Amino acid sequence: MSQTMPTAKQRRLRSLLFWAVPALLLLLPFATNPYTQFIANGMLISALVTLGFTLVIGNLGQLAFANTAFFGIGAYGSAILAAKLGLPWLLTIPLAGALGALGGFLASAAALRGIRSYYLAIITLAFGELMRWGYLHAKPLTGGTDGMPMPPETLFGTSFSSDTLKFYVFLAVTVLLVKATLNLMRSRFGRAVMAVRENEVATASLAIPTSRVILVTFMWSGFVVGCAGALFSRHVGYVFPESFGMLHLIASFAMVLVGGLGSVLGAVLGAVLLTALPEYLRAFPGMEELFFGLIVAAVLVLMPMGLASLLRRLSPIFVERFYREAP
Amino acid sequence: MKIFTTMLATAALVASPLLADDAEWETWGLTDDAITIGVMGPFSGNASSYSKALVGMMAYYDKVNDAGGVHGRKLVAVQEDTACDSAKGLAAAKKLISQDEVFMLQGNSCSGVALALRPTIVEAGLPWIVAHAVSDSISDPMAHNIFHGVPTGSANGRAMAAFVLSKPDTENVAIIEHSNDWAHSYSNPARDYLKEHGVSPSQELTMERGQTDATAQILKLRQNKPDFIIAALYEAETAIFLRDLKKYGMGDIPVMGTAGTDLENTLKRTGDFDTVKNYYVIHSYVDNLDGTLMKPWADMIHKYAPDEELSTFSFVSIGSAEALVAALEAVGPDLTRSKLIAALEQVHDFDTGILSDPITWTATDHQGVKSSAVAGFVDGEPTVLKAWGQPY
Repeated sequence: MSQTMPTAKQRRLRSLLFWAVPALLLLLPFATNPYTQFIANGMLISALVTLGFTLVIGNLGQLAFANTAFFGIGAYGSAILAAKLGLPWLLTIPLAGALGALGGFLASAAALRGIRSYYLAIITLAFGELMRWGYLHAKPLTGGTDGMPMPPETLFGTSFSSDTLKFYVFLAVTVLLVKATLNLMRSRFGRAVMAVRENEVATASLAIPTSRVILVTFMWSGFVVGCAGALFSRHVGYVFPESFGMLHLIASFAMVLVGGLGSVLGAVLGAVLLTALPEYLRAFPGMEELFFGLIVAAVLVLMPMGLASLLRRLSPIFVERFYREAP
Repeated sequence: MKIFTTMLATAALVASPLLADDAEWETWGLTDDAITIGVMGPFSGNASSYSKALVGMMAYYDKVNDAGGVHGRKLVAVQEDTACDSAKGLAAAKKLISQDEVFMLQGNSCSGVALALRPTIVEAGLPWIVAHAVSDSISDPMAHNIFHGVPTGSANGRAMAAFVLSKPDTENVAIIEHSNDWAHSYSNPARDYLKEHGVSPSQELTMERGQTDATAQILKLRQNKPDFIIAALYEAETAIFLRDLKKYGMGDIPVMGTAGTDLENTLKRTGDFDTVKNYYVIHSYVDNLDGTLMKPWADMIHKYAPDEELSTFSFVSIGSAEALVAALEAVGPDLTRSKLIAALEQVHDFDTGILSDPITWTATDHQGVKSSAVAGFVDGEPTVLKAWGQPY
């Protein structure tokens, strides 16, 4: 399917839109209650988790499932740095990202050894389970099954128990990381990532260091998701091993697919929809899982390229240069 | 920066229930004919079987409502699913508190979720009675509005050790457990109780989950010949341990198990009465589930939830629901949240008729149930015991 690329004017409009949406979102807390604000905060975290995931499986084209491991590393990293070392939580966000990047480095080892497809999937799944085993058994550090509470903290005299305050921090981190990822993917490096996805051997023949491309993409994915983990630790206020299991991975995978594999816009849309949906379905007790499954299936059947494809059809300003529709 | 901080502070205040007038806050969720109670539980997900723990409580609300309610007010439950997930549980709590504006909360399985909810609920200030989750940390350190209505993990662990020491001449006690926190939540309080009574465990052994043979552990125990063994093991491993204990001729040594095992299920697993004849488990009720003292409760549940297949969980929340209703009665028609909290702190030695031990909440201790009974086979019949050789 051919895509109409945006004109220069449309690109300027897109840039304006990118900053206008978060600017408008600054007003959101005036229209929410603590419950709806909490859900909005969860959407921002999910957006980052999905963004990191789609980079590896969508843009780089590697069937790797270490995403939940990066998320857990970030969450526990943030909680440990804040609770054990007394670091301000805000400072733990980039540090948790760095720990997530380290996780990405470790997870990429299998890919760098030439392991691909289902084998890479299983190895990265095992990596996630290994991390969860670590959270459970490193009790002096992680609290084991009892979990780990985040220490109370304030910013400008306002407690971080305020979902409104958390929202502004989460929004700032999300906008920064989405913008940085967009820039990265629009760069020469981003084109190399796409090239690896399309044909790794051909890419290598052009003297592009494919191993380095794979390594850096995994590490950036780990950084983004690690930062999301740090936000999650403050969002819930408690970190438990159960939060980083297969269910979380499946939910994140669903967000990637519903949003549109390999699309930054899709990552955000998928995260927003699938975080909000279970909350709307609270009105149907006992039927949530059924309705959730049906809705996800319907979206994927009607829009196999995800929600982002719908927007692309509406206007070229939503076309992402580094994204390629399936033939 | 100044504009930003002003905006933050304003937004925080707008979103905060603290802005509400105190008097209004005191009666949120109350009308002349209804008291709304937020009931959170794992109604979906992997741990949804724990939602059975709320069935008895809801049936009790229905029973009270059929009798006219409390001072003319019906107990209206607003259910929200936590899926045994901390983020989803927090969303449920925030919805109940800020959107549904319930008067109080009661329920909660899954200790992890309850622990995550604690700061939010403490800040919100409304009364919360924990009706199933057992982690001590939910109500310790004490929070002014959180009341534990079931035996906590430490109460059960201490009850295990108390039963062991109630057997005359017990001095040599061995402990075998899994190397996980679930097992430690029973074994550590049991150790503390033993030490307080001058007994140090003579042996501490580990049997990992999934182990299908306990020969190594049994041979070590055979050298030591303990008077009693405390076993903090899941049911499958318990059955293996008891089987091997009998196989090596040590079937006469009594074994004390946790509330995580069921006496008759363990018998079904081993298929041999001789292996379980000296096995005892924590049992929080006044009678066997099919006993005469439990029958009225079973009938009540079946009246309001006819399809409910009764299990140990089905009854666990009824006691705290009774204590709540007693406190509501004591407050009178002029009900407020503060008055209810004060009345709950007056609940003293409250015999629920279903829990083996009474509920006592005071201004300094909100962990209401301090012990548990024990179930074991006496003359071949499952029997609830207060202490060694003393039927309940």
